[in-house]
Amino acid sequence: MNMFKLVPTALLLAASASAASAQSSDTAGPLPITGNVPALCSVGTLSGNGTFPLGVLIDTSTGLLRGDLSAPPQVLSAAFCTAQSTITVSATPLQSVNATGTPPGGFSRTVNYTATASGWTATAASFTTGAATNPAATQSRTTAFQGDISVAVGAFSTGGGNALRLVADPAYAGNVTVTLAATN
Amino acid sequence: MMRARTPLILAALLAPAIAGAQSSASQDLGVNGNVPGSCAIGAPRLAAGAQVNFRGLNGTTLQIDQMVDPTTLSTNAASAEVRFEAVCGFPHRLRVETQNNGLWQVHERGNAPPEGFGYAVPYRASVRWADENLRLNADAQIRRIADSQIYIANNAIGDLLLRLEIDPGATNERANAPLLAGTYGDTLRITLEPQQ
Repeated sequence: MNMFKLVPTALLLAASASAASAQSSDTAGPLPITGNVPALCSVGTLSGNGTFPLGVLIDTSTGLLRGDLSAPPQVLSAAFCTAQSTITVSATPLQSVNATGTPPGGFSRTVNYTATASGWTATAASFTTGAATNPAATQSRTTAFQGDISVAVGAFSTGGGNALRLVADPAYAGNVTVTLAATN
Repeated sequence: MMRARTPLILAALLAPAIAGAQSSASQDLGVNGNVPGSCAIGAPRLAAGAQVNFRGLNGTTLQIDQMVDPTTLSTNAASAEVRFEAVCGFPHRLRVETQNNGLWQVHERGNAPPEGFGYAVPYRASVRWADENLRLNADAQIRRIADSQIYIANNAIGDLLLRLEIDPGATNERANAPLLAGTYGDTLRITLEPQQ
């Protein structure tokens, strides 16, 4: 009489599974987790209307540039850079918008001035229109930073000399640009 | 059964916390102003060495020294040049106005002047400004306001030169007529103003 031994397969499998998990401990990993923060800058929020309104530029009794020209500073609030950075200020002179021809002798259509950006670096960045060079236009900061930048204009002078009178024009316009750049 | 170990790498970039932050950021700010059109004329100055029969300037009054020739009792020649520093910062008009159109008696009598006597003196006013010339003939024929004007196309700065000339024997009657006694005068106004 032949006899076949039948061993239930399921039981074998169950026995196999139990054998695989039967250890005291195990560890998965190492699992490196990495992230990257790019060097970023923001000039923040402009507190004013973005312009320096100087009004009438001349003493109407003489036709010469006023010596008391001024405008409130513009503030860039909560500017930040996530790495070391540079701040650069540049500006274009005030010029008559409509009277664009070459002024006759004794007249000028240009007003030069100095723009400064302070609060970001120990030395304020400054740019003087009409100057041959502006070595202080770019200043560096070696750490990440956040804060307010105050931008001001001053030291006005008539292009060609203060003895020249300015040509009449209802619009004289110039521009100041402040730039934050992250450096790694 | 081999045990498999698979490194699991999680990598992420932190998104910028504020929209618009970049490696470089700029802000532009405008600087604005205006220059109104204006003209200015300074005080008069006698041009040195260019006056005949004038005493000079008394404030803004030009005084003739000897109005009449004592022999003929008619008008003596007289001339003078007066300079004004002036500037105009836009194209403009130069206008010269005479109040009386000649030298007339300051205090006129109500009666008609006697025949043969002059009672007003004509003169010429010439103005040079910005390389332009203007002439005003105060002919003393009718006592009235009269003017002359020219347009200057550019800004100008410099000296405005006024020359006054009275011819010998000039009267509103015939030439070389004797002049009635009295004080004679006129008022000139020089204006730089916007073109209209």
